[in-house]
Amino acid sequence: MALFTVKDLSFSYPQQSTPALTAIDLTVEAGGFVVLCGRSGCGKSTLLRHLKTVLTPHGTREGEVLFGDRPLAQVELREQSSRIGFVLQSPDNQIVTDKVWHELAFGLESLGCDTATIRLRVAEMASFFGIQEWYHKDVNELSGGQKQLLNLAAVMVMQPDVLVLDEPTAQLDPIAAAEFLNQLKKINDETGTTIILAEQRLEVVLPLADKVVVLVDGRILAAGDVGAVSANLNANGSAMLKAFPTATRVFLAAENLTGSTRSPAATCPITIREGRNWLKRQLAQQLEQPLTQQLEELLPTAQSQAVALDSPTHIPYSIPVPPTAPIPAHIPAHRESQRDSQIDSPSNANAIVAGAREVWFRYDRKGEDILRGLTLEVRESELFCLLGGNGTGKSTTLGVLAGLRKPYRGKVWIEKHAGSSNPLSAVSSIKPTAARGGLCLLPQDSQTVFTEKTIRDDLLTMFSDPKSEVSLAITDNIAMLLEIDTLLDRHPFDVSAGEQQRAALAKVLLREPQVLLLDEPTKGLDAAFKEQLAAILVKLKSQSVSILMVSHDIEFCAAHADRCAMLFDGAIISQGPRRQFFNNNNFYTTAANRMSRGLIDDIVTAEDILERLSAPTPETQG
Amino acid sequence: MRNLHPAISFGYFAFVILITVVFLHPVMLGISLVSSLLYAIYLNGIKSLRFTLLFLVPMMLLAAIINPLFNHLGNTVLFTVANIQITLESTLYGLATAAMLAAVILWFSCYNKIMTSDKFIYLFGRIIPAISLIISMALRFIPRYIAQIKKISYAQRAIGRDVGSGRIIDRLRSGADVLSIMVTWALENGVDTADSMRSRGYGLKGRSAYSLYQPNSRDKTLAAFSLYLAVLVIAGIALRLVLISYFPLIELNHLSVSALFIYLAFLLLCLFPLLLDGFEELKWRFSRSRI
Amino acid sequence: MDASTKTRLPLKTIVSIVVIVLCIPVIIGLSLLLPGQGGMYAISAIVIAMVMAPFILAFEGRRPQARELVLIAVMIALAVAGRAAFFMVPQFKPMIALVIIAGVALGAESGFVTGSLSAFISNFIFGQGPWTPWQMFALGLIGFLAGMLFAKGRIPTKRLPLCIFGALSALLIYGLFMDTSSVLLMTNLLSGQSALAIYLAGLPFNAVHAVATVLFLIFLAPFMIEKLERVRMKYGLLGNIQ
Repeated sequence: MALFTVKDLSFSYPQQSTPALTAIDLTVEAGGFVVLCGRSGCGKSTLLRHLKTVLTPHGTREGEVLFGDRPLAQVELREQSSRIGFVLQSPDNQIVTDKVWHELAFGLESLGCDTATIRLRVAEMASFFGIQEWYHKDVNELSGGQKQLLNLAAVMVMQPDVLVLDEPTAQLDPIAAAEFLNQLKKINDETGTTIILAEQRLEVVLPLADKVVVLVDGRILAAGDVGAVSANLNANGSAMLKAFPTATRVFLAAENLTGSTRSPAATCPITIREGRNWLKRQLAQQLEQPLTQQLEELLPTAQSQAVALDSPTHIPYSIPVPPTAPIPAHIPAHRESQRDSQIDSPSNANAIVAGAREVWFRYDRKGEDILRGLTLEVRESELFCLLGGNGTGKSTTLGVLAGLRKPYRGKVWIEKHAGSSNPLSAVSSIKPTAARGGLCLLPQDSQTVFTEKTIRDDLLTMFSDPKSEVSLAITDNIAMLLEIDTLLDRHPFDVSAGEQQRAALAKVLLREPQVLLLDEPTKGLDAAFKEQLAAILVKLKSQSVSILMVSHDIEFCAAHADRCAMLFDGAIISQGPRRQFFNNNNFYTTAANRMSRGLIDDIVTAEDILERLSAPTPETQG
Repeated sequence: MRNLHPAISFGYFAFVILITVVFLHPVMLGISLVSSLLYAIYLNGIKSLRFTLLFLVPMMLLAAIINPLFNHLGNTVLFTVANIQITLESTLYGLATAAMLAAVILWFSCYNKIMTSDKFIYLFGRIIPAISLIISMALRFIPRYIAQIKKISYAQRAIGRDVGSGRIIDRLRSGADVLSIMVTWALENGVDTADSMRSRGYGLKGRSAYSLYQPNSRDKTLAAFSLYLAVLVIAGIALRLVLISYFPLIELNHLSVSALFIYLAFLLLCLFPLLLDGFEELKWRFSRSRI
Repeated sequence: MDASTKTRLPLKTIVSIVVIVLCIPVIIGLSLLLPGQGGMYAISAIVIAMVMAPFILAFEGRRPQARELVLIAVMIALAVAGRAAFFMVPQFKPMIALVIIAGVALGAESGFVTGSLSAFISNFIFGQGPWTPWQMFALGLIGFLAGMLFAKGRIPTKRLPLCIFGALSALLIYGLFMDTSSVLLMTNLLSGQSALAIYLAGLPFNAVHAVATVLFLIFLAPFMIEKLERVRMKYGLLGNIQ
């Protein structure tokens, strides 16, 4: 029986001309795992909030939502409270009380359960989630991932039939996010609780889902299983496909290339493993025509082929780099160089603009060292990405480079170039830069940046003469550059996370930095916003701005960085041009690389695989 | 005493502090002062007590001085300074008050260690649920806000608006900026918290209050015992077995057997937490040494 | 809150409030019979607790919604974090200013709760003591009066009246209450002379407190009241306070 039935639901917020939701028809079966995806601002949250009466926003509404066979509005609040669990995005904001145990009990207290019942249910949940160890702690001592697990557990104690989650992992790092999503899978598998999840991390989440719903501008574009939906999106040429798992994307793009639909949608690969298997078959097919004989001699069956292929030392079907392969415009032509050495990399030829040499840093005199002999340099007009897990010192590195934290040993420097070529600096009504000579840091949390009531006023605070026409002109200019020109009169807290991020970036750019430091700029952004951010960074690079960003986002760095480095234990343990960097890593690398490792050389992005597949039939390695 | 039921701890402190404040009997004050000092040292250690004493001594001095200076109720004039009669009664009264202050402050320092916020919330969670919840929420917000303030001023420095330097007026301005960001952030993010509460059924009728504390047999025994002592003390005061009056002439009970009995009851009551904790600690050490 | 919500208080609450109010004179009367001339402070503290009880019970009685509780908790946490942030500077605290703002923006009753709980909760950090009830009542009263005077537009929420109110409440309400509690605790008698001496001794501290309050109000009040207004508008909080 359908748990939720949404019938022809349309909704508009007050005083807004475009509806947030239009003619939504959706059924959610009991026990299902439904993933709702779409760009931020497409109406995901609005739709999810219609699944619980107390969270339903005010506005004009048509259509109806059924819970079971009753209209949701007629289901008593008490029943809704326990049967429909809701987890929101921010791990911190959702926690109400100061103690872990109290937070777990909160929902049951609301329902008026007696102490014995609460004790039992809380104990069960704490055991299920492994919370016992921090059961007595203050909430403030928990990590972000633990907080979000606590939020999940605090809803699960009420034994809901369905869990609705609105981008619960947006604020988490990849490891905590994976752990959280695995818990969801466990709940779904072991208790049969229905899951309705809005998520951006489709690479991780789609393999778990049995139904995907794609929302675009408040309408359902496609719904169904992953294979069907991705085929549908592909047929429509939808940009939403960009957010789908690498394996799926490569598969569909390859289909497009061959112009065939011989594989039924059901075989569409989603996980890396499925992608590898598909790729193996694909490569075998490619080789089949000209080299059938050799193939059969070498490998009697596809199965034993797989074993051989996984060994990196013996790679019979590895495809060497085709000399004729087209090179994407934004990647400097260093195909040849990457094998030899990194010296020829064009970004290495650029002048060094800032750097750190053997820097040591700790927060407390008696504390542990956070940076242990960190050495790095940032070159002109490059995007340098610093990757690494939690607590490796990424943010601290930025703080030290920005001069906000003083190292106790080692040197941090920035080259002062005479004339900045930044076109914005043509007018010098901007306040003299207080940050270290043209070096600026964009903090991770954009909400810590805004002081004024509108984004325009906020940007204008960066000028010594905010009311002059020049200031206004520069502001408009920068707003165009960052595509926030339509948002200038909105309150900074009323726009989406991605928009806040860009407004904050605009504010920093008004400082005309020569070197821009970015702290996790892609956190919580959807795929489309990430593309926009990448385009903005390219624009900045073309204006001689050097960019150093720290990130967990391997895929973004792999697609857009010039150079990458990996930070571990307070020092850089490997660095190099992006291709070389990711090819040298086995595990800490992109999905495309993992999918093709041992099958095709030198793959970093999904586009690389496609390129290679579409290339003229290669020769076997000689 | 830490793992005693909160209601017993709260009642205990309320009673001992009340007797100390109301009944300025020199022997009882002495008992209260010494016991509170010992227990405070036991709980806080001598070092952390130094601050309390530092703040306590001037208060005691003030009380010892201000009473004879402004209170002329006594009949026994000791001497006259600048037209002010200093009486024996008010001087002694001042000393008693000083001792009372010390004892009360010390008892409170023990109270602060034992009656943590969650115990208070538990105690009053049923009587004043909304207020208790506000307290719990505020206690969650406070450390978060202090951390956020640091984050904001760091972020402001990062984008080139320095908080800690420049002219005073600039510093004040950027300080105000940090505060304004903080307030906006706190208020805007609070809405999620409210949504999370309502989503988990806050506002439904018949809310209950869960707690980790369950009265056990030890609690009941100890409660009965301390209640018995308290009743003895009250009875002693009501029956004027122990009595004190400072004005117009000092009037003190004689040292009779019954008075001694009351003193003993009060002494036992005041030392009760220390004896309890000390006994359990000894038992713990003993059992560990045998392992 | 407006009158309509007050009349909806449950009967139980109303009865308890009446009983408590009737008890106050009885307690004061009993105090005269106490032996040993030590009772003044204890009695006054008990009376104060009993005076506060009706405010608290009325607040509980109308079962405030989640968003209102959050807003009050946020204001309290700001006030306490403010007290903690300025702990090095004696008496230079933003607490009164924030309590006044809460009263102005959220109404008299919420103002009282914000004030008294700010005092109470900050003492979880700085230590409870014999001053706790007095402090709670003084700050609660300031929040309550701020709500009474400003929340319904009786006095325009401009900087000048707010600052005058702030200075007066620091000097006459908070200062006077706290000093009176000291007098009572130290002498147990309400002698005019000793009171005067302590008030005079406390005056410099209270003056600093008043100046701090005024400064914080100048900096904080306009934008904070506007922000609270914005949050109420955006999320439909607290219904219809003007």
